[in-house]
Amino acid sequence: MEKYFNAVYILETIPKLLPYLKVTFMVTGLSVLFGTLLGFILAVAKIRDGKVAKKIAYGYTTALRCTPSIVLLFLIYYGIPAISKGFGISLDNVDKVIFIVIAFSLQFAAAMSEVIRTSYESVDKGQFEAAVSVGLSNIQAYITIVLPQAIVVALPNIGNSLLSLIKEGALAYTIGFIDIMGKASLIIAGNYNTHALEIYIALSMIYWVISIAIEQSFLALEKVLSKGTQIVKV
Amino acid sequence: MLDYKFLVDTFFVALSGAPIAILITIVSLLIAIPLGFLLALARLNKVPFLNRLTQVYISFIRGTPMIVLIFIIYNSAPLILVSIFAKLNIKTNIYDVNPIWYAFIVFSLNTIAILSEVFRSALITVNKGQLEAAQSVGLTNTQAYITIIIPQALVVALPNICTATTNLIKATSLGYAMSLQEINLRAKVAANVGYNYIEAYIDIFLVYLILCMAVEYGFKYYEKRLRTYKFANT
Repeated sequence: MEKYFNAVYILETIPKLLPYLKVTFMVTGLSVLFGTLLGFILAVAKIRDGKVAKKIAYGYTTALRCTPSIVLLFLIYYGIPAISKGFGISLDNVDKVIFIVIAFSLQFAAAMSEVIRTSYESVDKGQFEAAVSVGLSNIQAYITIVLPQAIVVALPNIGNSLLSLIKEGALAYTIGFIDIMGKASLIIAGNYNTHALEIYIALSMIYWVISIAIEQSFLALEKVLSKGTQIVKV
Repeated sequence: MLDYKFLVDTFFVALSGAPIAILITIVSLLIAIPLGFLLALARLNKVPFLNRLTQVYISFIRGTPMIVLIFIIYNSAPLILVSIFAKLNIKTNIYDVNPIWYAFIVFSLNTIAILSEVFRSALITVNKGQLEAAQSVGLTNTQAYITIIIPQALVVALPNICTATTNLIKATSLGYAMSLQEINLRAKVAANVGYNYIEAYIDIFLVYLILCMAVEYGFKYYEKRLRTYKFANT
């Protein structure tokens, strides 16, 4: 084979990729923002008694959980412009990033709705009732009593969802989006497909460091936030 | 707007890729379940070198996007195989190797890491006294694990194994990167002729939805049986 492995390329590629990290983070950040909002709405639908809303929310979660990110991405990327064309609106000039954020927000919302629901249900109902009985309003009780306890339960799951969001985000390169993954494939194409292995290893190193950083910060956050509950338990 | 004939025809094209996705899933699980279990044991028993190695391995796999992992294996496995073939005097052209072998490697490596974490957390939930009690009545370690520990841990692990399996099925959609003739690629190739991408992706979406829901349903059914079995014995 004409290819050979040269570790120098790994080190050379990392600085070239790093500037594109902010694109990756921007997409992730926006998807987290919109995904959490939608996820919250879905979670409320699941918790409340409305039968139709509940069915829709659970159906949505199942469907999204069963769809590979890449399939969802293409469905959105081809589907939304086609639908809008049906209404006479052309979306040809819309930036790709919009479709990517929509796709990953939809996916993140499905994950978050389950995270929010399970963490809400993990807090004993008596906590809320006790808070209301001492004169707090419903909203006060949720914010000061239920939320701090629920968030401790939710944190590891939020961390996992965030991690998989960043990883799945790499697939945006398939529609020609230039984040770090997209940049890596551009570099490889520019090299006439040589040294692809080194460049992908460099890419995996960057993702690895990000994921370790996220994991560690969530662990640290968990420690800080769970302090209160531990005292209560003892 | 939609080409319904194409939609129906391509559904069966996409469906014809399902056996490959299922085959990869089953082979990967068959490889990953025993190995993942061994790695979980290595971590729980803090086997000196292996424990650390497993930790790094899991962290790397968890931190790297699947697509990057696929590219790394797809670019490096042939290099390694060439030298092995040369040593063993096997005269197979490396380009004739069916990409499904690379898929087995990639998805097994990924699933081993995920399942070992699933098994580890499940084994932790089984009380230590269970093993000691089993030993005290004269069972060997292996007997104790097979008859006492594993059945209990399995009940805890099952939902996570289910998630891992559906994720695995979804991940096979990335097999196109290894030019594997799976669901995604087959439908996409069919769509290339007339640019019917929306229809193709709707079909792909439906096939994955059916596959994953079937898996989830199967696991739920099995979980129920396992649970009754457990209660009957306590």
